[in-house]
Amino acid sequence: MTDSTAERFDWASPEINAHLRKRKRSQFYLKSLGLGAIAIAFSALALLVGSLISTGYPAFTQTHLVVEAEIDPDLMDPDNPRDGDFRQLARDIVTNRVIDGADTDNTDRLTDILSNRAQFTLRDMVVANPDLIGETVDVELPVADRYDQLYKGFVNQNTPEDIRRLSDREIEIFDQLVDGGYVAKPFNWDLFKNADSRFPEVAGLKGAIIGSAYALLVCFVLSFPVGIGAAIYLEEFAPKNRISDLIEININNLAAVPSVVFGLLGLAVFIGWFGLPRSVPFVGGMTLALMTLPTIIIATRAAIKSVPPSIREAALGVGASKQQVVFGHVLPLAMPGILTGTIIGLAQALGETAPLLLIGMNAFITSAPSTPFDSATALPTQIFIWADSPERGFVSRTSAAILVLLTFLITMNAIAIFLRQKFERKW
Amino acid sequence: MYDVTKSEAELDQSDIKFAARNVQVFYGADQAIKDVDVDIRDKTVTSFIGPSGCGKSTFLRCLNRMNDTIDICRVEGEIRLDGQDIYARSVDPVQLRAKVGMVFQKPNPFPKSIYDNVAYGPKIHGMARKKEDLDQVVETALRDAGLWEEVKDRLDTPGTGLSGGQQQRLCIARAVATRPEVLLMDEPCSALDPIATAQIEELIDKLRAQYSVIIVTHSMQQAGRISQKTAFFHLGNLVEYGDTDTIFTNPEDRRTESYITGRIG
Repeated sequence: MTDSTAERFDWASPEINAHLRKRKRSQFYLKSLGLGAIAIAFSALALLVGSLISTGYPAFTQTHLVVEAEIDPDLMDPDNPRDGDFRQLARDIVTNRVIDGADTDNTDRLTDILSNRAQFTLRDMVVANPDLIGETVDVELPVADRYDQLYKGFVNQNTPEDIRRLSDREIEIFDQLVDGGYVAKPFNWDLFKNADSRFPEVAGLKGAIIGSAYALLVCFVLSFPVGIGAAIYLEEFAPKNRISDLIEININNLAAVPSVVFGLLGLAVFIGWFGLPRSVPFVGGMTLALMTLPTIIIATRAAIKSVPPSIREAALGVGASKQQVVFGHVLPLAMPGILTGTIIGLAQALGETAPLLLIGMNAFITSAPSTPFDSATALPTQIFIWADSPERGFVSRTSAAILVLLTFLITMNAIAIFLRQKFERKW
Repeated sequence: MYDVTKSEAELDQSDIKFAARNVQVFYGADQAIKDVDVDIRDKTVTSFIGPSGCGKSTFLRCLNRMNDTIDICRVEGEIRLDGQDIYARSVDPVQLRAKVGMVFQKPNPFPKSIYDNVAYGPKIHGMARKKEDLDQVVETALRDAGLWEEVKDRLDTPGTGLSGGQQQRLCIARAVATRPEVLLMDEPCSALDPIATAQIEELIDKLRAQYSVIIVTHSMQQAGRISQKTAFFHLGNLVEYGDTDTIFTNPEDRRTESYITGRIG
């Protein structure tokens, strides 16, 4: 035994205890800061979604007039129903229900109760089925935005009449309809079945959703194979030298370029130079593909890099060629990572507004595109257009459209997570 | 330096599988292998021993041109397999690797079924056209690797689900499935427990009947147990090469003696 026993370190000394307490304290602070950060992030998210839902929920219902209506044969020619006077028909439908002393000679603006589009809804119904002429049928017609707001309780009747959008008389007449049980507020399927409109009560997202879908499809078809091809070449075949370094740096730079610049590029090259039409999802998709490409290349390269070298060696060791190694082993193992990166890139593209504004996808287009070469809007640009519109009904519709867009984004991210977990391999 | 021509003078030329002359390997500016001359005999187990970083694995990987996959690696000199220069322009490294199979340090089965692991080589080389032929090739390879009895009922389960020793024997089966002439093994037992190691060693001894086996090992006991020839590498030089018994009992070079007795390495 040496003297070392006498000099044994005192682990219970006050200094050591103080040091230990200090360490515990700083760890506690770090944890609290982290928790605080997460709490702030979550409350910001809750605030965002909460405010969107609170302003957007009214747009998911729409006030309708639900009545029995006689399709008056005097107003139309059965052989050519398209040219019938459906404006009068819509008028009659309202006037027939307003009993109590309303001036049916137009001074009470009874026609304004129904949406301006109601006549076309009626026309389409009759044109699709001319046998209805002369029959009495149940119809469900959207009411105009002012009355929609009234029924949803957004019109303050204490406001002086002259600065209110509905006069006392108009409210009185509408209340008669409500009392008669002719007014209902069903789920607003028109939000998904109609394209854009000047009239908020019938404006829908169909054109924007289909436009976005076409643009994303074009974007995917272009950027997925090109991105994977570029990543495979750079990662597996390209010699490592100055030029490949330069390319790598520039791909990373490209991923950081503001999207509006890609929009300008699309405008100059695709529309200006190639002479492709404006406002079409095809050009939108090509522009978005420029933006998504670097994201996909970077994600694919990272996924390829993460494939363990032992698998490559194993395949090379039994005499697989480089190409067989890449396509038989590396790519399948990298696929979950590639798909995740691609979906996240596409989700980014789906939410991108600026490049689409520059190529004119913020045009006012009232029909859904039937091919990628028809003019259309996209979801983010539709939100942009609606946010710009003064009608009260567009306020809630803007929030509703944002909620729809968020739903698509969350769905895409969920798919990405699902794919990653499903196809992830363990070794 | 060890002189091949003199001490192996009695060797019949047809017994030589690999003949290496003046082999130098560089990683960028660093020289990993210096002027190695060696004749590897057919149907023999040859051990490469030496301290870490001595170049034994690098030299092993020259024999099936695995070093080609490393960009900065450069091989000089001449390596002949059955008299044919394997670094000649006319030789396809992909074909060469089918003839010179390799088993790695860490068992690395593909994340596929046991069957697909073994069938992969024969498939990519077009060795079996029909399903029955392929089944036969897989069975033979698994029998050669001593794994058939253990896995014959679960050929469609993932190869990665086997134990470490079984995985390594699966890798051996995968390597012998392309009917190679030489098997290179880079520390095949370093990740295995003693029982699995014993099984592999037994297997290597059996494989000697059909293949020329070259094994890199850190265990001198292992080299002594399984190999007939041993080569000792030190700092990129082939210091001594000869019968295993001689190397372990009566080494010519002082460095070999120091290594074997545990003073260097």
